[in-house]
Amino acid sequence: MTGGLQRVASTVLLVVVSFLLTALILWVSGYRVGTVLSGIIQGSITATGAATSTIRWTIPLLLIGLGVVIGFRAGFFNIGGQGQFYVGACSALVVSLGWREGPVPLVIMCGMIAAILAGMAWSLLPGYLRVQFGTDEVLTTLMMSFIGALVLQYLTAGPLRNPSGTGQTAASERIPEAFRITDSSGVSVTALLLVGGVAVLVWLLLERTRFGLTMTLVGRNPTMARWQGIDVRRVGLGTFALSGALSGLAGAVELYGPGARLVTGFSPEVGFTAVVVALVGMLSVWGTVVAAVFFGGLQSAILFLPIVTDLPPPALVLLHGMVAFLVTIKFRAVRRRRTGPAAKPVAG
Amino acid sequence: MEQVLATTLRSAAPLVLVAMAGVFAFRAGIFHLGLEGLMITGAFTTVAVGDATGSVELGILAAIGVCMALSAVYWWVIGPLGANVIIAGLGLTSIGLGGTAFALGAIFDIRGSMFTDVVLPRPVRGATSGPGVIISEHSILVWITPLIVLVAWIVLRRSRFGLRLAAVGEYPFAARSAGVNPSIVRLQALLISGALCALGGAELSVGALRNFTENMTNGRGFIAFVAVIFGAWHPIGAALAGLFFGLADAIGIQSQINITERVPREFVLMIPFVLTIFAVWLGGLWRRRTLEAEAGYAELREPDY
Repeated sequence: MTGGLQRVASTVLLVVVSFLLTALILWVSGYRVGTVLSGIIQGSITATGAATSTIRWTIPLLLIGLGVVIGFRAGFFNIGGQGQFYVGACSALVVSLGWREGPVPLVIMCGMIAAILAGMAWSLLPGYLRVQFGTDEVLTTLMMSFIGALVLQYLTAGPLRNPSGTGQTAASERIPEAFRITDSSGVSVTALLLVGGVAVLVWLLLERTRFGLTMTLVGRNPTMARWQGIDVRRVGLGTFALSGALSGLAGAVELYGPGARLVTGFSPEVGFTAVVVALVGMLSVWGTVVAAVFFGGLQSAILFLPIVTDLPPPALVLLHGMVAFLVTIKFRAVRRRRTGPAAKPVAG
Repeated sequence: MEQVLATTLRSAAPLVLVAMAGVFAFRAGIFHLGLEGLMITGAFTTVAVGDATGSVELGILAAIGVCMALSAVYWWVIGPLGANVIIAGLGLTSIGLGGTAFALGAIFDIRGSMFTDVVLPRPVRGATSGPGVIISEHSILVWITPLIVLVAWIVLRRSRFGLRLAAVGEYPFAARSAGVNPSIVRLQALLISGALCALGGAELSVGALRNFTENMTNGRGFIAFVAVIFGAWHPIGAALAGLFFGLADAIGIQSQINITERVPREFVLMIPFVLTIFAVWLGGLWRRRTLEAEAGYAELREPDY
């Protein structure tokens, strides 16, 4: 990859600038930046259970982030990870609650497959409209994301609501303990192997297979790809399906792992943060792994911070926003696709 | 029935104001997904400054100023610095949502919700029954909104600026040939857009209500953006779409009150999103039109300055 080092440097620089700007805002607001920083380090690494919590938040960010990477690779902009994540979790919940007596590994398998299929479906509708009619996928995936959040809200407040549940936010019934692949910390060998395996598979797919290569070609230059005999539509649909599948799987892992039940609007920022993760990871698989650990650590730290400082948790949303706002600066190769005929004179 | 119509107007007004903001941005070829962030910033600034000074006018002026400043930064990032329009826009939304919730805690030491005594004047009030209910108890901004739509339409249709905007959005190459600097026109459009978002946010916090709550926009900025697409980026069309979404919202609220015939509220709330997918899809079928609008959008992604 030409200019790889330069890209790493510019990304790191932009992330650092975002952090400095946020730190400046905190400093102006009268917080001690040093205390906050030491709180972040404690809350993500050194405090008891902090490292586990970091990994717990890394898992969904990584899975959804890899889905975003796959989409970008073929030039598609799937920002509907949140909705795909939600419908995935919902499908796994329906399977697990509907088949409580089933053999444990089989139910978990079925739940995960259901989640993957649901995530795929949620992403394939925008994908189909995109490849068939040229409908902008940014809007449609965003809309599907809102619809997915409403589906979750409907299920947790309606048919799947835990009747004995108290508290203000609607929550579903719990799945049987036997179905869980982790304890409430959200980390276990099974979960790590699963996520690690997925990351390796995605890397193999993108860098070592024919399909990965065609995706890259379609992303770089769809016209050229078509001339070379690539079925651009098929590649597009496959990309959307895979991208949605990973987000759906993330939903199932969340349910079988730390969640055990679904709460209306759980992990509300994960979908968007995953886009930031993919971009900070420079749309490469291993970069995304590093970025996911980093943002997972921040997520974990923000839950710990109230212990050492009175920093309001939305500061994290502010920080994510700042990173997203700046990280794509001069970051061009991403959406080079939609240059319609009318725009051609500009390039020439 | 009267109550539903009154709620429709109240829900629609902020949507329509922010949709006008979206129309200006869209006409300049900018897919503005930061509307939500600007809207909540407007809502917060109005309450914060209005509460501190005791004057709602000062609050709104401050909100307009802050939102225009943020819009200028957004322009700088996506224009000269060449950041991705969509991602920077979503980032702006997060900055708005996170920043206002953070500021609420940092400045006022409040989590969640902040009440205020300042409120926009309500020209007509006191009706309790009959058709009067429809127009009663609306803030002055609700009354001004149709006027703003009309002005937006005239500006876009009849003014020199409107023509330049159309040229920049639809065919930047021609605009540049005619001696118009697309970058400057985009800045102007975004500034107008920021001011309108501030008004939409203000209507939400001190018009319909008297408080600021974390995340109180609750996706309205996105719905307003949807109204822009749904209304084919025409001010009147977008305003009608905003009214329609206001109606959907009002029916949703009403169906919650009358539990007897319960359509799940979530399905009513889905209507705008489902319709938008249809609208974008149909818009894509009118190929020519979309390509025109996307030409300016495409140019923003190409390194040309």
